[in-house]
Amino acid sequence: MSNYAIITDLNRCTGCLACTVACKAINGVDVGNFWIKTLRVGPHPIEGGSGTYPDVEMYFLPVQCQHCENPECVKVCPTEASHIAEDGTIQIDKDKCIGCQFCAMACPYGVRYLNETERVVEKCTLCEQRTAQGELPQCVAQCGARARFFGDLDEGVENFEAPAHPDTPGCQYDEMTKTRVKLKDYVEAYTDKDIHHLTDKGNAPKLMYLMREGRKWRD
Amino acid sequence: MELQWPLILFTFFNCVAAGTFMVQGILTLAGKGKAMQMASLVTSAVTLAVGGIAVFFHLENPLRMLNGFGHITSGITIELIVIIIFAVALVLYFLMMRRSEDGVAPKWCAVLAIIMGIVLPFAVGDSYLMAAIPVWDTFMLPLYYVVNAVLLGGLTALIIAGATKSDDARDLSAKVAFAGSIVCAVATLIYAVMIAGMGDAYTDMAYYFDPTLPDVAMREVASVTGAIIAGSLAPAFWIGQIIVGCAAPAVITGLVVFNKVKSEQVMACAIAAIACAVIGSIVWRVLLYLVAVNALIQFQWAL
Repeated sequence: MSNYAIITDLNRCTGCLACTVACKAINGVDVGNFWIKTLRVGPHPIEGGSGTYPDVEMYFLPVQCQHCENPECVKVCPTEASHIAEDGTIQIDKDKCIGCQFCAMACPYGVRYLNETERVVEKCTLCEQRTAQGELPQCVAQCGARARFFGDLDEGVENFEAPAHPDTPGCQYDEMTKTRVKLKDYVEAYTDKDIHHLTDKGNAPKLMYLMREGRKWRD
Repeated sequence: MELQWPLILFTFFNCVAAGTFMVQGILTLAGKGKAMQMASLVTSAVTLAVGGIAVFFHLENPLRMLNGFGHITSGITIELIVIIIFAVALVLYFLMMRRSEDGVAPKWCAVLAIIMGIVLPFAVGDSYLMAAIPVWDTFMLPLYYVVNAVLLGGLTALIIAGATKSDDARDLSAKVAFAGSIVCAVATLIYAVMIAGMGDAYTDMAYYFDPTLPDVAMREVASVTGAIIAGSLAPAFWIGQIIVGCAAPAVITGLVVFNKVKSEQVMACAIAAIACAVIGSIVWRVLLYLVAVNALIQFQWAL
């Protein structure tokens, strides 16, 4: 049993959309649909500033299924197609999905949609096909700014991992993919107060966003 | 959210079915409408079935229900259970009516009909309560379905009374429809005002940009919450729901209640009133879909 999640360091995220594109590519997400999107939040005037550039701030916000602790989508699903998997993620059993789309309505983050081809609801799976064999979710593996870290909440968010440079240039694929760095060893210092979640509507989102003091988290 | 017509029709026909059964219960309890009992039961059963067929068009893979249906925390499951109980109550009423010597179902069946006439629309409305969509997440939604059932049931009963020559039921049916139209107007007015005050239920990030939707304007909370009462949807609300959907049926049924129309004109009045009520009922449901936006207003990607 585990409790997988992702934390994104918004002080590092450059809004390159690599996560968005990598996810589409590996999961075969149809044109027009997304399992993860990257919003630009801002620019907003900095408090006490002139109100115009350069006294402005903004950040990029990658949004996907938040794999909630108390998921509304699971509650409203009449067939238990949407369920909490053993690894703590929210998954959809497509063989059970009747396509009523109540889960899509009940998700506060609007990250579910109807796959018009398969006629079932889809969303981010946290790349369970990869994590089940020890790999990182593709959005974490391909993050251009090394802003995203994946791990088991039960082992502490400080131990979440991202890909790292292998010691030997030109190493083999296996070595390259298994070379990792931990959140605590890589990103700038942070406190618990710097860890944010998307607005909680009673669903207790598990994915986290790191934004340090000096910038305003807007939720 | 895009209009979900199967669900709009499902809730509409459920209200007709529940309202018809409810008003027949009221009539039976008052010792009236003996001749129209069977017609009411058939109308209720047929509209319930039509609603059921409509909702299947919303499901993309209905046959997959066979892979396991019945997650009890789901509003859809509760709806289905209540619909089955409603259908059983209809059958029970029919059997007791046929068994009774005077051809009238016993009083407890009438009470059961009234209870089920309230419970069904309430359960249907309750299934849409979800924190993600603030305009739906209020007690007013199931309450609206109940009062809408009273309005549609009263008018349907008035038509059935005319068609079955149940003159004794005409006055009471008209009174129920009259009361229903007024309560429906008051309920939707309160609901619309409540929606206008729901701004705090939304997360507003002020300026944002979605690079995958570069030509889509930012959503503003005020344009959603204020749309019905005084915004872009106000004409549809005031004309479609309040004037046509509630005031017109109230005036027409009021004329019947206060004996301002000849008895041979009652049927025409009832048909005109229900046509108006149907327009209002559909308009209000459509409005509720048009303002159904996620609490995190920036994140509505689909639907």
